[in-house]
Amino acid sequence: MNSIYARRRRRNVIIRVLCYAAAAFGLTWLGLILFTLFWNGLAGLNLSVFTQMTPPPGSKTGGLANAIAGSAIMTFLGVAIGAPIGMLAGTFLAEYGRHERLTTVIRFINDILLSAPSIIIGLFVYVAVVLPMGGFSGLAGALALAVIVIPVVVRTTEDMLLLVPNPLREAASALGMPRSLVIKRVAYRAARAGLITGVLLATARVAGETAPLLFTALNNQFWNIDMTTTVANLPVTINNFVQSPYEYWRQLAWTGALIITLAVLTLNVVARILGRERNTQ
Amino acid sequence: MDQPSKGAGVSGADVSDIAIEANAAAKAPVADRAQALKQFALSDKTFYWLTRASAICVLLLLGGIILSLIVGAWPAIQHFGLSFLTTQRWAPQLEPAPILGGLGPIYGTFVSSLIAMLIAVPVGLGIAIFLTELCPMWLRRPFGVAIELLAGIPSIIYGMWGFFVLAPFLADHVQPWIIAATSGIPVLGSIFGGPPSYLSLFNASVVLAIMILPFITAISRDVFMTVPPVLKESAYGLGCTTWEVVRNVVIPYTRVGVIGGVMLALGRALGETMAVTFIIGNSFRIQDSIFSPGTTISAAIASEFAESGGLHQSALFLLGLLLFVLTFFVLAAARLMLMRLERAKGA
Amino acid sequence: MTTMTIAADAFQPPAASAPVKIEVRNLDFFYGAFRALKNINLSLEQNRVTAFIGPSGCGKSTLLRILNRMYDLYPGQRAEGEVLLDGANILDPGVDVNLLRARVGMVFQKPTPFPMTIYDNIAFGIKLYEKLSKSEIDGRVEAALKGAALWNEVKDKLNASGLSLSGGQQQRLCIARTVAIRPDVILFDEPCSALDPISTAKVEELIDELKAQYTIAIVTHNMQQAARVSDNTAFMYLGDLVEFGETSQMFTTPTQKATQDYITGRFG
Repeated sequence: MNSIYARRRRRNVIIRVLCYAAAAFGLTWLGLILFTLFWNGLAGLNLSVFTQMTPPPGSKTGGLANAIAGSAIMTFLGVAIGAPIGMLAGTFLAEYGRHERLTTVIRFINDILLSAPSIIIGLFVYVAVVLPMGGFSGLAGALALAVIVIPVVVRTTEDMLLLVPNPLREAASALGMPRSLVIKRVAYRAARAGLITGVLLATARVAGETAPLLFTALNNQFWNIDMTTTVANLPVTINNFVQSPYEYWRQLAWTGALIITLAVLTLNVVARILGRERNTQ
Repeated sequence: MDQPSKGAGVSGADVSDIAIEANAAAKAPVADRAQALKQFALSDKTFYWLTRASAICVLLLLGGIILSLIVGAWPAIQHFGLSFLTTQRWAPQLEPAPILGGLGPIYGTFVSSLIAMLIAVPVGLGIAIFLTELCPMWLRRPFGVAIELLAGIPSIIYGMWGFFVLAPFLADHVQPWIIAATSGIPVLGSIFGGPPSYLSLFNASVVLAIMILPFITAISRDVFMTVPPVLKESAYGLGCTTWEVVRNVVIPYTRVGVIGGVMLALGRALGETMAVTFIIGNSFRIQDSIFSPGTTISAAIASEFAESGGLHQSALFLLGLLLFVLTFFVLAAARLMLMRLERAKGA
Repeated sequence: MTTMTIAADAFQPPAASAPVKIEVRNLDFFYGAFRALKNINLSLEQNRVTAFIGPSGCGKSTLLRILNRMYDLYPGQRAEGEVLLDGANILDPGVDVNLLRARVGMVFQKPTPFPMTIYDNIAFGIKLYEKLSKSEIDGRVEAALKGAALWNEVKDKLNASGLSLSGGQQQRLCIARTVAIRPDVILFDEPCSALDPISTAKVEELIDELKAQYTIAIVTHNMQQAARVSDNTAFMYLGDLVEFGETSQMFTTPTQKATQDYITGRFG
């Protein structure tokens, strides 16, 4: 074995070891996060978490019922408002506007909104909704989430519709179908699994969003599903409880974090399975 | 759905006959069809304009965000002007008029993102190389999926884990060790100066690094997978080692995409709120040591906005505007690079 | 090839001529600045099959896609000249393309079943234009499937997905779908290029039956197929219509050298 080759091999071994080390290092941390989350979260998980309201300071009983309900409602509303707009916009980009310059601009802007800091969205909704409405409200929170949902759904809708083969559109047009029916009845149907996947991913994305809720929905210690006033929600509750001095609150924060994580992971996994079905079809 | 009723005793043989019959039965359908189409005309137009309006809505969102930030920040812009960028003092309660400068959070935003990237980029690329070149085949999929799922976990989870677990660990075990190792060395000695602290810029940066790690890994793995297998195989065929293939084929081929992905991650790190808010310490003073408390733009907004008013709130809006402009350019550059990669792939 | 001279008798109409359904006059077609068709003149006769042959890129598919204005879907493509369907110019901007396409149906190169059940694949197009009772639609679906010689193969699984059929069945489903809305003209764009020989034979048989009620145009790469199914043949080359005439005559005694070269396999 000559010396050049020996050196090459040595270098290769070093780099390989470094890569293995990186993988081990990264996965250790990430594994550790999940482990502590489950360990601490499960410790406080019981029925009262889902049936009792968030506790007042110092109390040793209480759950997260109002926060869970508020989060669920706001997430649902956010997706219900954002997903249709996102889908229609994505439809324009992929179907009608495919050859327009406007499309390139919108796609670019959308990609930027997709990763814009979520706290900025909170500031935007504060000015656009909270101030005119005269106060914090669940509706403002839902709208902030909708603003985050839109770019996600635009992106997935466009991508999925672009995967629908053109001959299918031509075939539908050849039957004399108006363009909107070609899209609604054929293209949407062909891309259905992908479109649902997109909405699920967007739901997962906003389910745990905290920053944009801090000064839109704020929080509420009591049961309230009136969306015109402050509404309790899991992320902000966790945010408040983590920084509190009460042991019981911190325990609840872990449990809430576990609930959010499980919800987000479930949504992601379901989206993934749906997405795979589409690929094997 | 019911099965169609059997045609009156027709066999496959005389297909053309029944077709002729059927055709003759409706020989002048053109007028009817025109009638039918008219029904669609309105909904067709409506749908088109709905999609177009929704697409424009995306532009309006961006416009609305910029506009609302400017409106919110306007009093502060007028009052402080450019000195906002160079002032470190943050005294919202000061009488008669508050003195507010954004230098502290701006510095903290840059430094925390820089440290986070220094940690996460090499590790993330390492994992991505591991996933695409070294990992046994049967493990690649589960590993890849796990990384992608981790990238989807809300950042507040990382934040609270950092607060409860990582910060104490770093302060008790890592920081003293670094402080001891660097004390006496001119520059490093003050950057890593003591005492150890639970709430510090450094701790926040490490949490940030861990949070963007799955993101960088997932995106660079996707980028690495765009390399045509033939290209890699021919390099292996020349007798190249794994590292040489990565170095000379994979990275040059994907360079633009990797840089784009890294900048995308940078955009996230710059604007990240919940992962850092708990443990950064919310101090507006800039200190030499990264083991001392600091703040970032988003952490400052998150912790002060709800209780702010007047000029104080406006100054927070100004910080938000700066953050948005900053991330806008970083993200725009990232997207342009990724678009170039896609175009190259398409060609 | 640009210097190729075209004898006047290349465009002699076939001897026993049937009524003209579609007449193409002085047709030019452009993809942006590229002129893909050059001054095309020909006519499609009712209840006859007209085949378009020629090497790749000669413009035969382009010509076909003008007849139902499929090119409208894409920007930067435009046609100049006249295409008269029953005497009315379909290139007129005022023409409703959806209505036109309902009269001029099209079957594509690759089978394109919609992602829905076999039944819906056909009922869908019918319901678009006509308000019919359930049983009427059932009858029409059955007639269409029989018309496409597919009924016996699918009558027990009408609710299965159209995608579950074999390639040849899918193509016949697409033909049934086209027939179901009762067009006047059916365009076939290389309908057999993705099919096996047995499915090809079935589709060819079907075309032969369909011409009893429809005017048919077919683009094909396969010269034997053109010879088997068509009454008239148009040979195109580089955007020019080189020769147009009765198939039997064209394949035995072509008037043009280029036609002869192509038919005998000397190029293309």
